Amino acid sequence: MFDVSTHSAIKESQSGADLPHFKAVPLAFAADIFSSGLNGALRRWPSVEIQTLPLFDKRAGLIPSWRPHWAKVPTFAVVFPAGLELLPKSEDAVEAEQLEKIEPPKRVVSEADSAENGDQPQRKKATRLKPPSDAISLEDRLFYLLQPPLQTMLAGQELVMPFEPFPYQYEGIAWLFSQKCALLADEMGLGKTMQTITAIRLLLRAGHIRRVLMVCPKPLIPNWQREFKAWAEELPVTTLEGDGARRRMLWQMPQPILLANYELLVRDWAEMTDDEKPKFDLVVLDEAQRIKNRDSCTSEAARSIPRKRSWALTGTPIENRPEELHTLFEYMTVIPKGGTPDLRQMQRLSRDYVLRRTKDLVMKDLPPRINRDEILELTSAQRTAYSAAEDDGIVHLNELGDQISVQHVFELVLRLKQITNFDPLTGESAKYERLAADMEEISASGGKAILFSQWTKTIDWIKARLPAECGSLVYHGGVPHKQREPILKQFKEDPKAHILLMSYGTGAVGLNLQFAGYVFLYDRWWNPAIEDQAINRAHRIGVKSAVIVTKFICKDTIEERIDKVLNEKRELFRAVLGDGSDTNASLSMNASEIFGLFDLKARHGKGTKKIAPKATPEAA
Amino acid sequence: MSTSPASNESLRLGFLTAIYLDNRGHVAGLLVTNKYGRPLEFQCTAPVRPNRAQELLYGPTLVPFLLGELLSKTLVERITVKPHVLLTDMPEILDSRPHVSLPVACVAGKEGRTGEGETVRIGKLSFGLHVEFGEDLKAFEKIAKELANDADLLEPLERVREALQETMKAAA
Repeated sequence: MFDVSTHSAIKESQSGADLPHFKAVPLAFAADIFSSGLNGALRRWPSVEIQTLPLFDKRAGLIPSWRPHWAKVPTFAVVFPAGLELLPKSEDAVEAEQLEKIEPPKRVVSEADSAENGDQPQRKKATRLKPPSDAISLEDRLFYLLQPPLQTMLAGQELVMPFEPFPYQYEGIAWLFSQKCALLADEMGLGKTMQTITAIRLLLRAGHIRRVLMVCPKPLIPNWQREFKAWAEELPVTTLEGDGARRRMLWQMPQPILLANYELLVRDWAEMTDDEKPKFDLVVLDEAQRIKNRDSCTSEAARSIPRKRSWALTGTPIENRPEELHTLFEYMTVIPKGGTPDLRQMQRLSRDYVLRRTKDLVMKDLPPRINRDEILELTSAQRTAYSAAEDDGIVHLNELGDQISVQHVFELVLRLKQITNFDPLTGESAKYERLAADMEEISASGGKAILFSQWTKTIDWIKARLPAECGSLVYHGGVPHKQREPILKQFKEDPKAHILLMSYGTGAVGLNLQFAGYVFLYDRWWNPAIEDQAINRAHRIGVKSAVIVTKFICKDTIEERIDKVLNEKRELFRAVLGDGSDTNASLSMNASEIFGLFDLKARHGKGTKKIAPKATPEAA
Repeated sequence: MSTSPASNESLRLGFLTAIYLDNRGHVAGLLVTNKYGRPLEFQCTAPVRPNRAQELLYGPTLVPFLLGELLSKTLVERITVKPHVLLTDMPEILDSRPHVSLPVACVAGKEGRTGEGETVRIGKLSFGLHVEFGEDLKAFEKIAKELANDADLLEPLERVREALQETMKAAA
């Protein structure tokens, strides 16, 4: 329909002159019937009634309603064992023994680092515990994953420590913590004791272990007692000692830490029935090379202790042959009884269960160890005695013919070595002359030195000759156990005590003498590993300046020949233990080599029989 | 409900966070530690994956509902070693506060729309509280006094995430 307003608009637009002319026709004319023919009556609104109709039939079953419904969410829980309740720290304990504070390593920040990080403080690197490779259950894995970083646990919070461990020590602690079977084979002086004690402490705190047996050589008992006091003074440590009845009682007492020596372990173990043998959550063998002989009583006793975790500590996992690791792996229960893994298997086992670091790898900021081989000419009296003894000895060996054994050669070697120390007739000694000269200077400067010899007789001989100004002290197998600790204390604290004369057997292992700046090897041990152990009494963590190691070697003597053979052997054990292992890997001399010292050929077997004396602490 | 530890009771902290896994959904974990960070109990949920209808009907409120109400509430109810407070780094979990009976705080700067509430410094971090629960401040101030000034309260949340990943890996 055209309405009026539209019509008007068009009309107005006609005023334009150019528009075409047209005639307007009004459409709103009155009519009952529209031009279209529709009846006007149809314009009425229809009558509409509204009513609700169901959209769906009930039979369809779909109800268009929604209510929020969520099924109950299942959960998984791990509850951690309650930690050990420890004795409260006594207030006067601190002043009882002043712990020596050792400076933690200082971080060297390179210029590049500084530029990169701006002035932002360095965030401490966190050492997290990792689940061990043999942890299969989720609960076990979560136990390790949910532990806080070691730094959080140790840094001035729950566990007070005398000084902050080095980063590699944190790694060692974390590794031990998560290993059920472990051989910590760090080089001597890197802190195996501290790492072990701290890992034990954390495991006790975490409630993962409750009863620990620590086995070590007898002379090291005071050392472990002292270290436990320094690193975990809240842990009650019981030492196995006393008569049989008392020891039986101590074995049965459920104390957290029982400290025992190998000899008492073997003795008591033999007397106990299987039912009487106590069970431990963790057994730690210190100087674990003691059990390398599979058939020895010590080895059998150690392997038969009922235990859940087996740790072994040694700085010299291999003293002679890679096979020595077999017994340690058997103790660690990672190979079956009597198992003899091949080299490839040994490498895999070493990767999983052995942690070994050397000073070269981890202690780049440790003051250096300066080796000084003193090649000395024998005095005339010594030369005469030496030549006579050597000539007579060789004649005697040749006379023996087929009867000759390594023992015969060995006896001659010992006799010659003793002459290089001093001439028994005249008392002349090129080594002593040099020692006396060096000691005069060391004493005058207030320094301290330790001297090692194979023989207690030599040690006593030196002691009798050194002037009083040297303040010499003696520490060897002949010194009663009760007197040993006071001697070490005096050497450390008495400014007039400048030299400690020690035997390899008694002094080479476990002692901390890092305040001594000089080490003298008066004669050479058969095995460089033992020599290194001796040297590392002084060259270890906490040492503040370089350690000068003087090895006395008499020219044109058996000592020079032995030195050459032993030096050639230091490279042989990389294959099993990897890089950095050559420093202490060693071989004692075998029969062939001993015969070779005198241009003799081994008469029996293939010349692989080891003839060196055992380096037991009681040897000297 | 009183949530502050009694003077003779050792402090327990709850660290609550969640992760999202493709094709599996949301999973939340609650770690209760003592004040030194030593774990006492860990509880985690099974993964929850909303269906299409839920996604459509909840719209943008879906994730806050799942994390803040469904998962957080479930964990707090199920945990047997009850913490005194909850700490989180997810604003959605801070929104669980009306549904749980524990004070909740979220690392400052991450509180989202509830970030207008009170803030409190605990250890070396600042935490924001739920805007409607200003009274929680007292509980957190008390806890702040018990903790070392250099305590890192984000670190336990990292542990929870790592544990959730490990759990889901094991359940896969």
